[in-house]
Amino acid sequence: MPKLIVDGEPITFEPSDSALVALLRSDKHPTGGGCLCCAGDCPHCVATVDGVAYVRTCQVEARPGMLIERHHNTQVHPGGYPPLPYEDKRSAEIPARNLHCDVVVIGQGVSGKEAAEAARASGKNVITLDVGERQEVIGIYPGPLVVARTHEGMLHIHPHDEIVVATGAAEIQPVAEGNRLMGLVTARAASLLARTGLDLGKVVALGTPPTGLEVQQAEGDLLRFEGEEKVDAVVIIDANGEAERLECDTVSLGLGFHPRDALVRMGNGLNVRAVGDCAKPSDIPPCPASGTLCHCSGVKVADMDFIWERGFHELELVKRATLAGTGTCQGSACLPHIRSFLADRGEALQAPFTARPLTKQVTMGEIAAGSQHRATPRTALHDEHLKLGAQMERIGGWWRPWNYGNTLEEYWAVREAVSLGDVSTLGKMQGSGPDAVKLLERLYPTQVASIKQGRSRYALLLDERGYVVEDGLICKDSDTRYTLTFTSGGSSFAELWLRDWAEGWKLDVRLMNQTMSLGAINVTGPLATDLLERTGLSERLRYMQHTEAEVAGVPCKVVRLSFTGELSYELHHPAGRSVELWRALMDLGKDLGVKPHGLEALQKLRLEKGHIIVGQDTDFDSTPRRIVHEWAINLRKDEFIGRQAVLRTNKIPLDRQLVGLEIAGDAPFEGALLYRDSKYAGYVTSSTYSPVLGKSVMLAWLELFDGALPEEVTVDGRTARRVELPFYDPEGSRARV
Amino acid sequence: MPVFERMPARRVVARPEALDRAKPREDTLMLRVAPDEVLLFPDVDIDLGDPHALSLSETGFSGVWLEVEVALNFLERTCTWQLPSERPAFAQGAVAELPVKLYFEKDRVLILIPAPYAADFEERFKATQ
Repeated sequence: MPKLIVDGEPITFEPSDSALVALLRSDKHPTGGGCLCCAGDCPHCVATVDGVAYVRTCQVEARPGMLIERHHNTQVHPGGYPPLPYEDKRSAEIPARNLHCDVVVIGQGVSGKEAAEAARASGKNVITLDVGERQEVIGIYPGPLVVARTHEGMLHIHPHDEIVVATGAAEIQPVAEGNRLMGLVTARAASLLARTGLDLGKVVALGTPPTGLEVQQAEGDLLRFEGEEKVDAVVIIDANGEAERLECDTVSLGLGFHPRDALVRMGNGLNVRAVGDCAKPSDIPPCPASGTLCHCSGVKVADMDFIWERGFHELELVKRATLAGTGTCQGSACLPHIRSFLADRGEALQAPFTARPLTKQVTMGEIAAGSQHRATPRTALHDEHLKLGAQMERIGGWWRPWNYGNTLEEYWAVREAVSLGDVSTLGKMQGSGPDAVKLLERLYPTQVASIKQGRSRYALLLDERGYVVEDGLICKDSDTRYTLTFTSGGSSFAELWLRDWAEGWKLDVRLMNQTMSLGAINVTGPLATDLLERTGLSERLRYMQHTEAEVAGVPCKVVRLSFTGELSYELHHPAGRSVELWRALMDLGKDLGVKPHGLEALQKLRLEKGHIIVGQDTDFDSTPRRIVHEWAINLRKDEFIGRQAVLRTNKIPLDRQLVGLEIAGDAPFEGALLYRDSKYAGYVTSSTYSPVLGKSVMLAWLELFDGALPEEVTVDGRTARRVELPFYDPEGSRARV
Repeated sequence: MPVFERMPARRVVARPEALDRAKPREDTLMLRVAPDEVLLFPDVDIDLGDPHALSLSETGFSGVWLEVEVALNFLERTCTWQLPSERPAFAQGAVAELPVKLYFEKDRVLILIPAPYAADFEERFKATQ
């Protein structure tokens, strides 16, 4: 005889037994008591099966070696419930399949089959699901999306027309004293168990009798069940109002039906239709007088009285107040009784409460089936960075090298020699058309028309409220064509921003976002020009000039600028040739001491220059005045997005400003709070220790006190001094050389 | 296991009317990825009669041709939207939660992905096999 293991003890079972039947054959109740339905409706047969908690044992076939742990077994589970998973148990990934159809029919009983046939006859593409085929629907979601668990994984079904629910009806559970005893079964369960050959002993039937077994029919209303752990008698009130005690081993309860319509109730607003028994109104049992009403949440009839007296009279509120209906069976056992209770106390029968996914317990793996982590894009140089020992981090929405093992070496390579930085992540866009200048003039607060061909200008982008939302370069390629750059994380926003306005203004402009098409390498340091000369770049560019040229045989847009404070060139090039260009530059610059630098070094370099990063140093309401960038705003222009707001906010007294602070010793962490005489004075947005200055420098939001910025503040219990920006090379002689 | 490789293309942004009239060479696959944008494989220029069109070599996409059966098996696992049934057909949207372009021929399917996502896409493809 095959055996499975229950709480460490092997038990035998018959072929085709469910796990529940196998347990009952060995006189073991999965949860210690409660009326079994054998149909997946009640919460009384759940157990941990092969490590998965809350499995309905009536719905799984017994298998040799199957491991069952009963939740209520306090020797196995001291708290009486399965513990939360504490081991890092990784199950195999559960696959999800997406299927599309016109109509999905859930349930393949008589009415389900009829509905499916009718839909097919009208030319619809139909998918049917049936729990008997191990296709268990766990929820209906907006979309609509029907999610089902199968033995092969999860099904994600996308019906375009209709969802038909033909899931039949569940039997009503008894609510009376003693309804947690063993030996209670619904009438259909009694019939099923009898067919398995299980000896139910003496059976008393209340209500509709089971089929296929001999029973003593009880005539009267249920009063209570009696027994220690197992029922030994049921007490009824007969037609004369007399209590009658009927001794038995099993009580079969045929108390009526209520629709299995949870899926219909969670399809609010979707095209969901119930058919068959699922569409019929629920039988309403007599108002319960005592006993456990919701076994999942342990709600007794006395608890219902308690909350009723405190004013919880609406079904949805009763659910929230007691948690009845929110547990394992999602109201299948308690809902008819709660409705009966409220109707008895109130005036009307209330509609069933809203259902929400999930209808059945699922594992995290099943929930996660088909979903993915958010992917982080990699530049074309990703593998080059790894080969150079880079520690990669997700920054600005991309994988980027944080450092290559020695941040100080990287830093000094920029300050004193030459270094390469992968800036492929910068937003890059081209705009072309007769209205290109008109568009840019309306968007940017700088005078675009005054930018000469081959020249670039740093510019802010403001929103309608005058707040800074992006920054970058405007490079004039021709009278009708411009190249624009944006922050690493801002290219998608910038594209939408430009497209929206261009379309709204009906301007004749073509826009191409090239962020993922182009790589970009920053060649920076006092020897940057020497390195580029070795690549064949003969043209000497002035500061903020740009040109198209071949660099080491790779076609590039070469842009002279500086974010590091040193002589710098950005080489924008086809991303497919990034590796070739990077390797050529590294090779040609060996004797110049070329090294790559990561963002950790870049943070020091740009902060020493007081360069802001929009999004890090700016807030949602940063105006140009607050970040001390009025120089980037040309209010003589007639119009640009944010102009009116800037004019208006400029009249309001300044309340805070982005300032430079310096402090001896280590840098306070970013986000550290500033105080002036114990009063909050602001916070640090960027901070670093500056190797070249021998002290720490910060950008910080600083409040004004009595209309003036404090000269000194306290941060981390130390005194920081406010200084003019930039901290390093204030004349800009190194970058503009 | 398929290997995604950069697929040189020509990317053109132009007036939609100009693209409507565009007639690429017979050996060129033209994908209309937006009303104002096409991708051409291989990288060959096209005369559109739009002097302000942006027409640039494009190496930002990685791609692979897969047998129909292999592709559909993968797409059934990873694509929540309905795929076109006609052939040839172009479609684009999230596949494995990444931005993908699909071109269906009778016996094969071209899968295109922005190259910065190619490594993640390959991993996700592998996980379904």
